[in-house]
Amino acid sequence: MNGALLVQTAIDGLILGGIFSISAVGFSLVFGVLGIVNLAHGMFVLLGAYAALVLKHQFGIDPFFSLLPSFIVLFLIGLLLETSLLSGAVRRGSLMTTLLITFGASLILKDLVVLLIGPDIHTLDSTWTLPTVHVGSVVIDGNRATGLIASLVLLAVLSIVLAKFKIGRAIRATAQETFAASLCGVDSRRIYALTFAVSAGFAGASGVIVGIINPFSPTDDAFWTLNAFVTVVLGGIGNPLGSLVGGLLLGQISTFSSQYVGSVFPNIFMFCALLLMLIWRPHGLLGSSFRGSV
Amino acid sequence: MKNPFHRPLSAFWLASSAIALIVAVILPAVLLPFHLRVLQQIFLFGGMAIAWGFLGGFTTYWSFGHTAFIGLGAFSSALFEQWLGPAIAPELRLACGLLIAVVITFAVAILIALPILKLRGVYFAIGMLAFAEILGEASRNFDIFQGAIGVSLPAVSLPGVSSVSLFYWLFLMLFVVNSLIFIALRRSRIGMGLICIGQDEDTANMLGVPAERHKRIAFVLSACMISIGGVLYAHSLGFITTGSVFRVEHSLDMIVFNMLGGIGTVIGPALGTAIMVFVTQIVLGRLLDYHLMLTGVILIAIVSLAPAGLIGLVESRYRRRRSTQIGTAL
Repeated sequence: MNGALLVQTAIDGLILGGIFSISAVGFSLVFGVLGIVNLAHGMFVLLGAYAALVLKHQFGIDPFFSLLPSFIVLFLIGLLLETSLLSGAVRRGSLMTTLLITFGASLILKDLVVLLIGPDIHTLDSTWTLPTVHVGSVVIDGNRATGLIASLVLLAVLSIVLAKFKIGRAIRATAQETFAASLCGVDSRRIYALTFAVSAGFAGASGVIVGIINPFSPTDDAFWTLNAFVTVVLGGIGNPLGSLVGGLLLGQISTFSSQYVGSVFPNIFMFCALLLMLIWRPHGLLGSSFRGSV
Repeated sequence: MKNPFHRPLSAFWLASSAIALIVAVILPAVLLPFHLRVLQQIFLFGGMAIAWGFLGGFTTYWSFGHTAFIGLGAFSSALFEQWLGPAIAPELRLACGLLIAVVITFAVAILIALPILKLRGVYFAIGMLAFAEILGEASRNFDIFQGAIGVSLPAVSLPGVSSVSLFYWLFLMLFVVNSLIFIALRRSRIGMGLICIGQDEDTANMLGVPAERHKRIAFVLSACMISIGGVLYAHSLGFITTGSVFRVEHSLDMIVFNMLGGIGTVIGPALGTAIMVFVTQIVLGRLLDYHLMLTGVILIAIVSLAPAGLIGLVESRYRRRRSTQIGTAL
């Protein structure tokens, strides 16, 4: 086996894994805290990319600086969706209802994007990225490396907020035991709305990174939703570290299978990994699920 | 009485379904081909929605990947019929294709049922979604399955019958068979067990309901009937690719039709299919751009406003009105 190729594959997998991690962390948070599978998550990721696209074309803002605006836009969309449609279903505890509502929302959002912006494939080019580096025969692409670093920074910010801040403690308490948390004075409805909005915001920010690295089109949303799900199942529900582990693992699975087995295999391998994990270790590798999930 | 939980089928109900069936059978003589095509779709997808309900209607095992079985049936029959070659009559090939599709689907469903039915709720739903994706990717990417370039199917025809009418009757037959299976299932011991599993699986297990076996029977039965639907659908199309039979939309439609009409009933999915096909094909025929958005809006509206579907809505009205007269439910 060729050493340089091996290293190159591992690095590509690491970078891809970073993107998977950041795009899945919001999904994981909502799954852990609200206990729902957000099928609109992939659409939130794409909406983040489209927000950056609109900002770039209308105001000439470099995509790299759209991270925060995208976060805010998606935060508001998430807040609106949760308070208007989802909160009732979440309180009734009907898992299937939330699944169908989020799916319906994703269909509506997808159609809106197609109607307003068009079904074409777009890319975001940022000039604020690192230069491409050559180490021996291994190439580290600047765009992708920037994406990885931005992902890690965002993940670190979320971890610190969850671990150290009062609001983070309230979110974790709600996830562990909603009833006890509300007895201690945590307004669980507010926490639910906030968590959903924050997770949508992170999806939006990750969408910008996705857009800088990959081309995107309105029909990619199922891909990102499924990736988020696989990442969460691999890593474990509800904490950023789980998303990081799951995402990095998924990145490696994806690049190694396409490098050494065949370019058509990554999806098959990913879904097989999903099925096997669901059957053997549904709580993820870290086993850090907040709730009994099976 | 053999089964104290179910009232016997009333004479009124039997008579009206018999009349409806006779009307449905003779309709091709009077209708325009376009309307016949719309009815074709209602019977095909309505029949498949009913078959989805064998498991999903009674329990919370909601498959988000039943299109896997449409594709499995379509591709196994198409490839087998291609292998048989044009020397054999198309009608015989259709019969052979149906047989081989059912055998293959049966084997695959038994194999996949063992691990996947251990998953519950959303994990089962996503597991099935992944299963459908794996099959779809495999058929697209491995050349022996020809999913990317597509497979042609022989044109089935009977002398003196137009192909539209022929497939109309085939789909009608599928619809009727699935409805009968559903009714028989609901009134059987297995159906009772499945309803118990839907309410609380652990308790049902504890009380001696063989949950694993009941779930497996319903799952495999559902898979096989969907597969037959897939074979007929593929023949009515005449040419299939991965994109036309392994579609997430097919999986989703089965759920939407069930939700809209009323889950766990036989009229519910039929009614849901009829409404959705009517709305999307006739009302929105010229507004294809808004198709997805409308599906989303209807889905959210149904789930939020009438979680038990239209049938449930009507029933609760009816029950409220009669609640003063009847002491106990059942």
